[in-house]
Amino acid sequence: MKVTFPYMGPVLAYKKLLEAVGHEVIMPQKPTQGTFDLATKYSPEFLCFPFKCLMGTYIEALEAGAEAIVTTGGDDNCRAGFYAEVHRRILASLGYNVQFFVIESLFKHPRDFIGSIRDLKGKYSWWHALGTIHFCYDLIAAMDRIQERIRILRAHEKNKGDFTRAWRDIEELFDTCYDRQDVRETEKKAWKILHSVPVELWDPKQAMRIGIVGEIYVTMEGHANQEIEETLAAMGVEVVNSQYVSHWLKQRLQILPWRKSHMEKIIAKAKPYLKLDLGGHEQENIAHMIDYWEKGLDGVIHLMPFACMPELVTQSIIPRISKDLGMPIVSLALDEQRGTANIQTRLEAFLDLAMGKKIRRAGVPGLAAR
Amino acid sequence: MVKNVFIGIDVGSVSINIIAIDNANTVLYSSYNRTEGQPVSSLKKALGDLMNSLDAGWRVQGIGTTGSGRQLAGLLVGADIIKNEITAHATATVTFHPDVRTIFEIGGQDSKILILRNQMVTDFSMNTICAAGTGSFLDHQSERLKIPIEQFGDLALSAKDTVRIAGRCTVFAESDMIAKQQYGFSKAEIIRGLCEALVRNYINNLGRGRELTPPFIFQGGVAANKGIKAAFEAEIGHEVIVPRYYNVMGAIGAAILAREYIANTGRTTAFRGYAALESSFKPTSFICNGCANVCEVVKVMMDDRVVAMWGDKCGRWSNSIVVA
Repeated sequence: MKVTFPYMGPVLAYKKLLEAVGHEVIMPQKPTQGTFDLATKYSPEFLCFPFKCLMGTYIEALEAGAEAIVTTGGDDNCRAGFYAEVHRRILASLGYNVQFFVIESLFKHPRDFIGSIRDLKGKYSWWHALGTIHFCYDLIAAMDRIQERIRILRAHEKNKGDFTRAWRDIEELFDTCYDRQDVRETEKKAWKILHSVPVELWDPKQAMRIGIVGEIYVTMEGHANQEIEETLAAMGVEVVNSQYVSHWLKQRLQILPWRKSHMEKIIAKAKPYLKLDLGGHEQENIAHMIDYWEKGLDGVIHLMPFACMPELVTQSIIPRISKDLGMPIVSLALDEQRGTANIQTRLEAFLDLAMGKKIRRAGVPGLAAR
Repeated sequence: MVKNVFIGIDVGSVSINIIAIDNANTVLYSSYNRTEGQPVSSLKKALGDLMNSLDAGWRVQGIGTTGSGRQLAGLLVGADIIKNEITAHATATVTFHPDVRTIFEIGGQDSKILILRNQMVTDFSMNTICAAGTGSFLDHQSERLKIPIEQFGDLALSAKDTVRIAGRCTVFAESDMIAKQQYGFSKAEIIRGLCEALVRNYINNLGRGRELTPPFIFQGGVAANKGIKAAFEAEIGHEVIVPRYYNVMGAIGAAILAREYIANTGRTTAFRGYAALESSFKPTSFICNGCANVCEVVKVMMDDRVVAMWGDKCGRWSNSIVVA
């Protein structure tokens, strides 16, 4: 069957996973202005921005020949749990008869989870399916490690865009992996490519390092956040992103009870501010903010789709966190509007503020003269 | 006598403000001009006025630009520093009112709250999504009610009573105002109600969860409106100070930042002087098909020379400019 999926995070690994169980994959395209035009035309006006991005991506993939869509579900308070059903209905009303494979949480709905994996794997054995999942996890984790480093290094690149281009080459290399051994070898090559990109020498004490937290889609995807990471890098700012699919998987698929993921270790930090899990990443985001400050980051940018319920809660807690810690935090709401002037102004002012704080916090000499 | 002066330019949505200060922050020249939709020609005219009124002994030692049109203005005049308006406003305010802790700034298309402690900005917020409660909306209403914007404040103060206007959204605010007019309320009462609605919306929207402590400074073009000032004082129950140069604070901040920059780096100014007045600007835009981003790239030509490329995400075009 010709299948497609949302454009989010390491799409390469999803492709590998589905190809290994005999599906033909129609790769979703990175959303462009054309995608947003389609998306806003066929989505309810007040639905969240990620819903619209997926809408546009799906239509483009269906036009390219896809017959089925693989996506994730959810049953918390966040609207994302309804995405698949609403997408299916809207697509049907547009005349696309498309099958949805909705992967639910393994622990909350084990039957549904196993059922959808069984449907997807078809005639392939469970052993083969599990092996493929293991390989894809390694692939995602390796790519995440590289990206994590790029986000720091990009602030110091000699020629603008070098790391973005290097990342594209690295992705192509990973595309040729077929087992875990390949992944290990390719990762070594990828590090070599990364280290060959020319960078300016920098003093780690003086470099600004900003954390990015927020709703998972807009935090991960450059097209949805006006390429905030590259904008920050162009201003010489190192970025630490909180959202990685490998971290998320590790947390969800961790079955050995005595091993704790990074998130389980830090989640307690969020409890004084928010006791309940609201179905998004709000507790995780709050925990990350506090963790980042303790690790010496200079500030946090909080991203959310306009009118995102879980992140609106985070947004209203931010002034308290900011006051308690003395930490610069700015919250940006994103939608399909493409004007950059407003965000640019906020970012510049925020960095001035964070720089002032950094000088006072660390007493770094020489910073003031810049 | 030779005197060093520093120029600050604030190109906003509604006005272009130019000021000149000396080393002691004395404002030697100040002008506030409406852009009337043509920022470049208005800027040139305003700059020409400034140059003609400078004394023979004054030397321009630095120039800074700010406001939403800061990039283009910076190119035109040869700015030493191009700074966002939030930092520029804060810089100017702490210079004149070192003890300030809260700044209300309302301009043409945006409004901001700045929280300061020990003369440093510690938090700020800016209106999102909607322009309800900014100068442009007041402008629009003054035109509709046929009351010059300069008389808005006095008229609001003359009202003995007030009416409640929905201030969340300009469209609803306007229909609410029309409804109240049709009930027979006077223009003065409606304008007072409008001022109160805007302030309520502003505090709700931007003040959210923030601790607002005095001294309060109210600046930006809208600070000329006494009705809004009175509404602020009623809403927060404390005196609100409108600084002397309330409508050009951004420009003053840009000039101060330019002076600090020149002093810190020891460079000489890049100010283009009279050449700036003769330059012609021509922006064009095209869609780059180099990758899936399909960016709209803006190319700015100054006197047949490409001086800037903006809008590409990868740097393919913006990096092609040797002299920015």
